[in-house]
Amino acid sequence: MTCSDVQQLLPELLDGAPDAAFQAAFDSHVETCPDCAGLVSDLKLITSQAHDLAETDEPPTRVWVNIAAQLRAEGLIREEETAPGPVLVPSSPRRRWSAWWLAPVAAALLAAGSYVVSHKSAQPIAQNVPPPQPVQSAPMQSAPVESAKTDIPTPSSTSVVASSRVAEQGPQEVATKSGHSASAPPRVVSAPSSKEDQQFLSMVSTLAPSSRATYENQLQVVNADIQETQAYVDQNPGDADARQHLMDAYQQKALLYQIAMDRIQ
Amino acid sequence: MTDQKQRITEAEAIEQAKQGHEPAFEILYNLHKRRVYSLCLRMVSNPAQAEDLAQEAFLQLFRKIGTFRGESAFSTWLHRMTVNVVLMQLRKKGLPVVSLEETLEADDESPRKEFGTKDLKLTGSIDRLQLQRAIDKLPPGYRTVFVLHDVEGFEHNEIAEMVGCSIGNSKSQLHKARLKLRDFLKFMRAEKAKTG
Repeated sequence: MTCSDVQQLLPELLDGAPDAAFQAAFDSHVETCPDCAGLVSDLKLITSQAHDLAETDEPPTRVWVNIAAQLRAEGLIREEETAPGPVLVPSSPRRRWSAWWLAPVAAALLAAGSYVVSHKSAQPIAQNVPPPQPVQSAPMQSAPVESAKTDIPTPSSTSVVASSRVAEQGPQEVATKSGHSASAPPRVVSAPSSKEDQQFLSMVSTLAPSSRATYENQLQVVNADIQETQAYVDQNPGDADARQHLMDAYQQKALLYQIAMDRIQ
Repeated sequence: MTDQKQRITEAEAIEQAKQGHEPAFEILYNLHKRRVYSLCLRMVSNPAQAEDLAQEAFLQLFRKIGTFRGESAFSTWLHRMTVNVVLMQLRKKGLPVVSLEETLEADDESPRKEFGTKDLKLTGSIDRLQLQRAIDKLPPGYRTVFVLHDVEGFEHNEIAEMVGCSIGNSKSQLHKARLKLRDFLKFMRAEKAKTG
């Protein structure tokens, strides 16, 4: 068997079931030919490693949000299962008015994300920066429905102030307020919770249980993504891809807020 | 909510999705999202397009879920649907689903081995990111066959049917794709060694 024969018959060897005679001739040649041995070894390596790429990438949160919205629009999700009664389209002026805060918060998320991402590369690694609005901390899943009724935010009192606060403060001040230690970046994947998140959860709590659960879950996922990516950026401040990913995560969160607002109003 | 979802089997989720239960759709999405998105991403090498394609694949699946009778595995059904969505998109954009040999030979962008240079072997393991980048550099036709066979595990007869080529053509393109990947990877490794 020659090197040319090996080249020709290699696909059969890698993917098929070569007969014993062929295999023996092949093995005999490869033993004495380093080039062919290297070729075979490399192609086997590529083939085996390629299979590991099958499930490596996680789609952004917005993909499911868009799918769910489209299914709902097409009537494939039964509305009586997800949003019984008039809750789906609230007619209360109070509720309609109370959702206004979401718009500036969504815009603020993008602005704050952009700020954090663009300034992060200049920060020392030790200066850990949490997501932009962790002014207060509370378990996200415990979003109290009661608070929605008693503490519905107004655009001027909460979100706009929060937005401008984040935009004006810069990462270090926000980090200080959040109480995160600069030397101990948060490794916990559980979502950080901010006042705006609590308000968001309170708003979606007026939706049917399954819809509310979807929004809660998506918020948790995107917050975890922001937190994880932020921690990575803290460790690798020069990684442009990571910074872009962080910006994308903020955009996803803004989109989630926007979609919720469209739904509730 | 999550615990409850995890207790539901895929078959139960399919039945509930047929009834229009949103959580069931989400369960099915979460079960398969990584595989579907990764497949789209590998085939088009563009995250934004991959998102759109994954979204379209799931929407097509959910629109047709009422017709799923369970003769084949749900995942097989979904993955074939995803491949069809991606191939349709490639055709719409005028990209070759099957490589044209003459075109590729004339427009070969793979690095050539220079005589007298040391032939670096890809010993050990291949960095995942490097392999992804090398796949991204493959011409679309080669990339399609490589992704479907070596990443997704489709057989040549399945690929030939989906892509619309002969089985021999599928085998030939796979082999050339692997050789090209090897060249790319060796080139990347050599470049890294130079700069590192």
